Amino acid sequence: MKSYTGKILRVDLSRGEIAEEETREEWLGKYYGQKGLGFRYLLEDIDPTIDPLSPENEVVITPGIFGGTIIPNSGKLAITSKSPATGTICDGSIGGTIAAEIKWTGYDAIIVKGKANNLVYLYITPDKTEIKDAGFLRGKGTRQTELMLKKELQDDEVKVLSIGPAGENLVKFACITSELYRQQGRGGIGAVMGSKNLKAVAVRDGKDITVPDMPSFLSSLREIIKESVLIPDNEFLLSDGTWPFGDWMLEAGMIPTRNFQTGISPTYERLRSELKDTFKKGSKACVSCPLACGNYIEIDGISFEGPEYESLNMTGGNCQISDLKSIVQFNRSIDDLGLDSISIGNVIAFVMEMTERGIHDFGIRFGDAENYLKLPEKIAHRQGIGNELAEGVRFLSEKYGGKDFAMQVKGLEIPSYDPRGAWGMGLAYATSDRGACHQRAFTPTPEVIMNEIEPYTFEGKARLVKDLQDYNAVKFSIGICDFWGLNLDLLAKLVNMSTGSNLDSEELTKAGERIYNLGRIFNVMAGFRRKEDILPERLFTDPLPEGPAAGKVLPKGEFEQALSEYYRLRGWSEEGIPSKQELEGIEVDKEAIEKFEKYLSSTRYRV
Amino acid sequence: MKLIFDTGKCTGCKLCELACSAKHEGVFNPRKARLKIIDRYIETGRETKLKSCTLCMECVETCPTEAIISNGKWLTLDEELCTSCGICVDACPEGLIYMKSDDLPAIPDFCQGNPYCIEWCPQKCLILEVE
Repeated sequence: MKSYTGKILRVDLSRGEIAEEETREEWLGKYYGQKGLGFRYLLEDIDPTIDPLSPENEVVITPGIFGGTIIPNSGKLAITSKSPATGTICDGSIGGTIAAEIKWTGYDAIIVKGKANNLVYLYITPDKTEIKDAGFLRGKGTRQTELMLKKELQDDEVKVLSIGPAGENLVKFACITSELYRQQGRGGIGAVMGSKNLKAVAVRDGKDITVPDMPSFLSSLREIIKESVLIPDNEFLLSDGTWPFGDWMLEAGMIPTRNFQTGISPTYERLRSELKDTFKKGSKACVSCPLACGNYIEIDGISFEGPEYESLNMTGGNCQISDLKSIVQFNRSIDDLGLDSISIGNVIAFVMEMTERGIHDFGIRFGDAENYLKLPEKIAHRQGIGNELAEGVRFLSEKYGGKDFAMQVKGLEIPSYDPRGAWGMGLAYATSDRGACHQRAFTPTPEVIMNEIEPYTFEGKARLVKDLQDYNAVKFSIGICDFWGLNLDLLAKLVNMSTGSNLDSEELTKAGERIYNLGRIFNVMAGFRRKEDILPERLFTDPLPEGPAAGKVLPKGEFEQALSEYYRLRGWSEEGIPSKQELEGIEVDKEAIEKFEKYLSSTRYRV
Repeated sequence: MKLIFDTGKCTGCKLCELACSAKHEGVFNPRKARLKIIDRYIETGRETKLKSCTLCMECVETCPTEAIISNGKWLTLDEELCTSCGICVDACPEGLIYMKSDDLPAIPDFCQGNPYCIEWCPQKCLILEVE
């Protein structure tokens, strides 16, 4: 099929074996590329109950259908694994050029399992793949790793996925970095790479990607970019990147501040204005993206991309750090060490609150920039206090207390949107396939940005969350970035133009449901049930103290009702287990259904 | 004729390279583009530059069969005269010439005066200068 390469690269690091196989074409027709294909291979290959840091776990790297083509906003790469932070299936995306580069090497997926004896890296070119010694990169940050690999391979154009010391030391929120400032941030897949002794994957392009009718492909795309991408609604991405999301959250009174103790930040507006007006020097795009949301800055001789909204607020206002230079220094450090900014911002804010409340003295309080700047190194190298902080907020709260304000779901720390100001987000966090994630169903857009629906109610939110999850599941599988809100008719048209297939939006809607259910199958088999689809107590009990959402708190009873309604809409049981009938209806493949049925009949758990 | 490049506006999206390889070779493959954008992070910050034909005439002058012809604005290849020796590939100081699958060199030609890459640049950082 055009646009796919038809080939998968498998690497077994325990055996030192490299093999190519044909992509399962019947899965491409059901699960498409990035997220869906990653989910399907992981479900096939691993037992969902395994330890995520064991050699049996896999890292599945999928560039999607559109990777490497001229289709706008197709520069994301999905990396899927069983997450050491959550124990769920977890796909995360990373921008830059790496998705296209992998496509140009000729693979629909790279699947890595096992554990190497020594630290290694993979060098993948269209002609061959090698497992090479990475001893010289041990302990190096992602910046040095990438620059040293280019020297080692004598190729400035080689593209790299790498982990820093955090991944090597199995920090639960270790991320994977490419081109210095692009991260697959969430879920600790960097630690999975670390557990495999896999320091980096270096790839070099070379192969062609073809489409059925290039001249009409190009002329259609020119029109589509003009009509649907480079439009006034999207202009903010080039000028401001993701910073306006903070403006909107502040306006709605739901910008997490002091570990979610309030939704009003006294510093955000100043910080983002300083960044834009004084330090922004240019924009950086992923490959094929006309929107270019990356903010390239220079500040006192330090060059940096970011910090984007999430990073700026979670490591800024949420920790009550108000000095921009400290925040930039901190973010540059965590990018290099390979730490996820959302999670570390939560971890530090949590221990600050624990200390201030006198529950346990972690030696750091809100606003303590001096100690804040020391923590990334300690966490990444698991030194002193950093060793336990490296386990994340859930672990800390289970050991030292403070569970009610441990801002995490299923072990994944909550990003920079407080659901008390947009209740749909509460249901979205609870039902996300990888714990607290804002990219599965971003309800604040209709609730508080576009003001299309009432934010302080659960009415209608089950449907909204389900529909957005399904939409994103298929969009992130075919391979379009979050920031292009194209409709499914257009997405179907793009797939048809690329592959020669004949899909419509109805099929894509169903595919979204299919892919989302595939994740649920994995998670149920990994032991997840309704009781895990829950939020931290603070969101149910502590009203926001100020701003437009003052006094708002999520009513637990209504949340539970909305959760039941969500399960009903999905055809899941009251415990959140998909029914065979439902899975057949949305055409999950037979092998997957059989595997799931076998699991259900072998457990004492009754559906 | 040459391409003027506004370094500060380039975002490194590669749409120009992709459009180039798609138009000339019918495939998406930046190695087959006739211009090259470099936008990468280096030790000291960010490096952004364009490599495109400067009409330096190195290829024209080194071609043993005089198969590469300049009209003063752009280059063309006389396929009858070309012997596929590949000397031009090594001669191009920008590294832009490569041998195609049909064994003929791909010669940058500004799309005969109407560069397709310019149409695709969303930031309008490529400008054609006609002397």
